Amino acid sequence: MQAIEVKNIQKYYGATKAVDGISFSVASGEIFGMLGPNGAGKTTTTEIIEGLRVPDAGTALVLGLDVARHAREVKTRIGIQLQNTALYPRLNVREVLDLFATFFPGPNRSTDELIELVNLREKKKTLSKELSGGQRQRLSVALALINKPEIVFLDEPTTGLDPQARRSMWDTIRSVRAGGATVFMTTHYMEEAQTLCDRVAVVDAGKIIALNSPNGLINEYFKESAIEFELGGEMPPEGTFRPLAGVTGPAVREGQGVTLYTTDTTGTLGGLSHLAEAGTIHFDALSVRRATLEDVFLKLTGKRIRE
Amino acid sequence: MQALWQLYLANVKEFVRDRMAMFWTLAFPIFFIAIFGLIFSGANDSTFAVGLAVEDHGSAATALQQAFKSVSAFKITEGSQADLLALLKNGKLRALIVVPVGLSTAVGAGQPAQVETYYDPSSATTSQIVLTIVDKVVQGVDQSVTQRPTLLSINQKPITGNNLGQIDFLLPGILAMSLMQLGLFATAPALVQLREQQVLRRIGATPLPRVTLLAAQVLHRLTIGGVQTFLILFIGAVAFKVNIQGSLWLLLGFVLLGALMFVALGYLISGLARTQDSVTGITQLLNFPMMFLSGVFFPVDLIPGWLKPVVSILPLTYLADALRQIMVGATPAYSLGLDFAVLGGWLVVCGLLAVRIFKWE
Repeated sequence: MQAIEVKNIQKYYGATKAVDGISFSVASGEIFGMLGPNGAGKTTTTEIIEGLRVPDAGTALVLGLDVARHAREVKTRIGIQLQNTALYPRLNVREVLDLFATFFPGPNRSTDELIELVNLREKKKTLSKELSGGQRQRLSVALALINKPEIVFLDEPTTGLDPQARRSMWDTIRSVRAGGATVFMTTHYMEEAQTLCDRVAVVDAGKIIALNSPNGLINEYFKESAIEFELGGEMPPEGTFRPLAGVTGPAVREGQGVTLYTTDTTGTLGGLSHLAEAGTIHFDALSVRRATLEDVFLKLTGKRIRE
Repeated sequence: MQALWQLYLANVKEFVRDRMAMFWTLAFPIFFIAIFGLIFSGANDSTFAVGLAVEDHGSAATALQQAFKSVSAFKITEGSQADLLALLKNGKLRALIVVPVGLSTAVGAGQPAQVETYYDPSSATTSQIVLTIVDKVVQGVDQSVTQRPTLLSINQKPITGNNLGQIDFLLPGILAMSLMQLGLFATAPALVQLREQQVLRRIGATPLPRVTLLAAQVLHRLTIGGVQTFLILFIGAVAFKVNIQGSLWLLLGFVLLGALMFVALGYLISGLARTQDSVTGITQLLNFPMMFLSGVFFPVDLIPGWLKPVVSILPLTYLADALRQIMVGATPAYSLGLDFAVLGGWLVVCGLLAVRIFKWE
């Protein structure tokens, strides 16, 4: 049995199609990510699967149950973290967790265990309104873990966290999965999707435009490497880089920065050197790297995921 | 049950830790009582400054002088007519009584004589009271001088067992008003805030039945209402000697009914309003007419006739009336049964509508 099975769900807000026919399934024990820019329909899709929103069309099965008809039972077996939830502002971390524990039939994780799990030891007596954004985020993740859920839904769990806290959240998510849970998460961080998720669905404008493991996506869409550099002085005309050996498409220019995708790294670098010697271009800070999910997203949608 | 109790405790903690909210909720009715209590208790034991010029020195004049000086409501200043008249004109005196020369001689000879009273007709109420007292005193002295037996007299019988002072009138009104404001100002904005902060949504993402959440909120409001009621009754009894005349249980019953009714109204408002600002607008729209047209601060008899239909619709009218009857034995404007029926009706209507339009997000 699949942990989650979504069939052709659609959701409209007025004339806007927030979710435009999305289908996928998530295997038990997977960390499944939805990657896309803000407004792509990630949160709406997630909330439909959680049973918090009713789709205009399509069905979502969670643990084999139709969420639309078994919302209460589904909610006892899954854990939900919502984006930007303010909690009771004048209750402290312990009190919030103790309170929410009474909403589930159990067996639950103990409050101490939860506090350890999300690294809030020093803040357990702090009122929730006095927590920093990152600490509040960790508390809201802890709320999703109270009832030892079979599936954990995390909506942008690391937004607002500093890089160190983000890594520590990744460890938390990995240990939750190691404990047997399935993780369904959304993110707009490429690095997060790439390092954490077993499979990633790339969404844009309410549709899934690609679905595979992170490496699978890169291999599927990019045989090329990326060469990045910054230009100095006069900007050369459009099409300057297109004829270079191995270059597979038009150069992506952002301000002074240029990204070229190439199947022949050596050949392209040679070509760039010639251009520099001839005085056509002046470049600096050159680097060569493997393509990433960011490049995949750029190729698929023609835009970067976030600015 | 565990969840209900914990949610209730969470609400209480939130309230107690929000010092400003707690202070205003509990202190507001107390301020009202203190301010009105001080104003009206001052007016109650005030005496009238009255000038007395006795220009005659006969026995009748002396009898009158003694009689006027024994009136406890008068603070007598004696002096010459001219001096006292000046004081009256300056507003230092309410009235001036002159016992003119030759009064005793005239009375002794069986001739009619007059006591002159000067007063300022612009302060009509006071003057009326003073003139009535003067009249009484003169009649009394007249009878004792002429030795005529008193054939007719007035035996005053107040229709309530106790003397209804201003504070007796106000205290039940203030209690009713606090119960109303519990619903309007404490319930509606708090619910909209919970909705705006997505606390309702977060709890909706757990298997907790939503009705538990609402029940905990209502219990919390009722607790606050109970504390306010206790404070008001306590201060009334200790500071102003207002003791409850009727049944305490009946009083608590009406307090509970009123609190539930206005909390239901608060839920209804929170369903109607989208934002905090619109909540403020709607609550003020309801608060002001009820505060001034429901007989909280003054009797509804004083409200002009064309506003009477409004008065008879407002639920606070009936709550204030019922509380006033039970607490201080005031003359009923409506029967307690009618008060109960109207409040119950409002409760049912508000409750049903609130359930219908309540928004979780």
